[in-house]
Amino acid sequence: MTTTLDTTRFGAFGGTFAPETLMAPLFELEREWKRWTADADFRAELASLLQHFAGRPTALTHARRLSRELGLELWLKREDLLHTGAHKLNNTLGQCLLAQRMGKSRVVAETGAGQHGVATATACALLGLDCVVYMGAVDAARQRMNLLRMELLGARVRVVEHGQRTLKDAINEAMRAWVGDPTETHYALGSALGPHPFPSIVAGFQQVIGEEARKDFLARTGRLPDAVVACVGGGSNAIGIFRAFVPDASVALVGVEAGGEGVGKGQQHAARFAGGEPGVLHGCYTYLLQDDDGQIRPTHSISAGLDYPAVGPEHAMLHDEKRARYSWATDAEALRGFEALAKGEGILCALESAHAVGWVLREREALSGQHVLVNLSGRGDKDLETIASLRGPEREGA
Amino acid sequence: MSAVDKLELRLRALRATGRKGIAPYLTAGDGGSDVTLAVLRELADQDVPCVELGLPFSDPIADGPLLQAANDRALAAGTTFEEVLEILSRFRRGGRGELGRDLPVIVMSYSNPLVRRGWGNAVRALARAGADGLLVADLPIEEAGAMSSAARMAGIAPIFFVAPTTSEQRMTTAIQMSRGFVYAIGRLGVTGARTELDDAAQAFLARVRQVAGGLPVGVGFGISNASEVGAALKHADLAIVGSAFVEHVHQAVSQAAPPRRLDAARVAAREFLQVLSGGLPA
Repeated sequence: MTTTLDTTRFGAFGGTFAPETLMAPLFELEREWKRWTADADFRAELASLLQHFAGRPTALTHARRLSRELGLELWLKREDLLHTGAHKLNNTLGQCLLAQRMGKSRVVAETGAGQHGVATATACALLGLDCVVYMGAVDAARQRMNLLRMELLGARVRVVEHGQRTLKDAINEAMRAWVGDPTETHYALGSALGPHPFPSIVAGFQQVIGEEARKDFLARTGRLPDAVVACVGGGSNAIGIFRAFVPDASVALVGVEAGGEGVGKGQQHAARFAGGEPGVLHGCYTYLLQDDDGQIRPTHSISAGLDYPAVGPEHAMLHDEKRARYSWATDAEALRGFEALAKGEGILCALESAHAVGWVLREREALSGQHVLVNLSGRGDKDLETIASLRGPEREGA
Repeated sequence: MSAVDKLELRLRALRATGRKGIAPYLTAGDGGSDVTLAVLRELADQDVPCVELGLPFSDPIADGPLLQAANDRALAAGTTFEEVLEILSRFRRGGRGELGRDLPVIVMSYSNPLVRRGWGNAVRALARAGADGLLVADLPIEEAGAMSSAARMAGIAPIFFVAPTTSEQRMTTAIQMSRGFVYAIGRLGVTGARTELDDAAQAFLARVRQVAGGLPVGVGFGISNASEVGAALKHADLAIVGSAFVEHVHQAVSQAAPPRRLDAARVAAREFLQVLSGGLPA
């Protein structure tokens, strides 16, 4: 069975640029995903797990002090309150349940910040599946608590020592593992990227975020937000909240990429829309950070989860259609966002999510008086060591 | 004669005589351009049926550790697309007294370095530099329309993969779209994976052989010694040896004193080819 090209694409983007060995497993995955997500029992079981295991629906919080301070109405969709501390569990519960229905005994996954790895290990423990997680050595060092969490949950963590030793290299290794055993293994890709059908599968399992947020926002305020803001690495939390608002023309959609040291020449970052051009990486055609020769460029971000050279293809389409706007926040702006939310609202958010908050702080003038909904994709416990190491000299001097 | 014809005629002629051959793979620029050129010249002298020349890429997801390392070394040595064209052109121009400049060269790449230039431009440039065929590791038939027509226009043979997981229908299409030969992935996994070509693999290769009809069949992924060459050639015409060949040459070059590197590369290539030839059917 082959798939026609148009169903694999988002506008010009996406597609299935995969090694031949993976084509049959990808077709199988597409068939089974369509079959089971239309199945009443599957849907009921997933809904039950999301409610009684993961803790959905998550809260919608009005950030009262920050709203007053910034002169706008700031609302937070609290994916940080989901079990395991990030939105990633929405996707892994869905994919691991699917893997179980497909008769797979083993799940492999990549992880950057460790959140997708922890969420995969959690779903595998819950469902009795064997779990192997690939993690770059740089990320394993800066997120060692998450590495420990995965191991405690029964997963085997393979530390990837080559390439840039971050998320990109972990995906390379997870794909290689899948090529080696596509019959028994399911690859639970963690973001809305990779070859078709992954971008659609992941977005489909994450769109619950926006469905809940839109409904709650309307019920609480009697109106829609003026802007919905989310950080974008691969882009799963962002597409998860955007999808429900795409038909609402009055709602501005803003994706915030990792600006790293800054997006100027010679500065390292992971802002694909600011410095990238379309190309093919990890199975899909999308915006990439690459050099003139088509080699993938090194990236930098303070947050491991945004430290990736490609963006999900649905975002590439929303960008080119001008339905969503993509901006960036630097490491320093993300840290300001983190502190503002901690001291102003009593929430320690993930450094990834802090990019969205940092963008709101920077754009406060332009957003004056508006209702702004930020997707708080995860909590910040995993980042305490990173932040402590940055604060070290400052505290000594104080 | 176009490159497509040259490659296919040569391989079909090989097939018609009942002879079978070894097709080595090397990553362009691994050890530097001069080493690559020296190995290509040695392979021409050894009269191999064809050679695969890898265009290095930063993220080769279909490759195992040995070829990842070769890609990294080539990129670290500054090997660009232009440099690969230059290697090919120099090889085609030949040197004094050199034979075998008509050795078919199949360029093996990942999509992005070619997409970056546009399929048409990239394929034309490769053809002009002297490539005869093109294989793209992450370009299945569904995505290959632009590459395929660019290759036909430029007179270069598009070659596609079939794997043990490939359905009958896809196999038929991949074979119809391929010129020169069809590349059968002998086993699941990345390049260099070391498992036996077991009964299931032989049944798969027999199936490819049957569907391919007169089109020659190449087998690759994990063939590293004479007995595996023998097993691979039970049903196929070409045994493609990548990781083991690259590593053998790399070890010889990295252990040689700088003035001896090119000789060391040629000797290593020749000797390893002789060892592998022990697996060729009599």
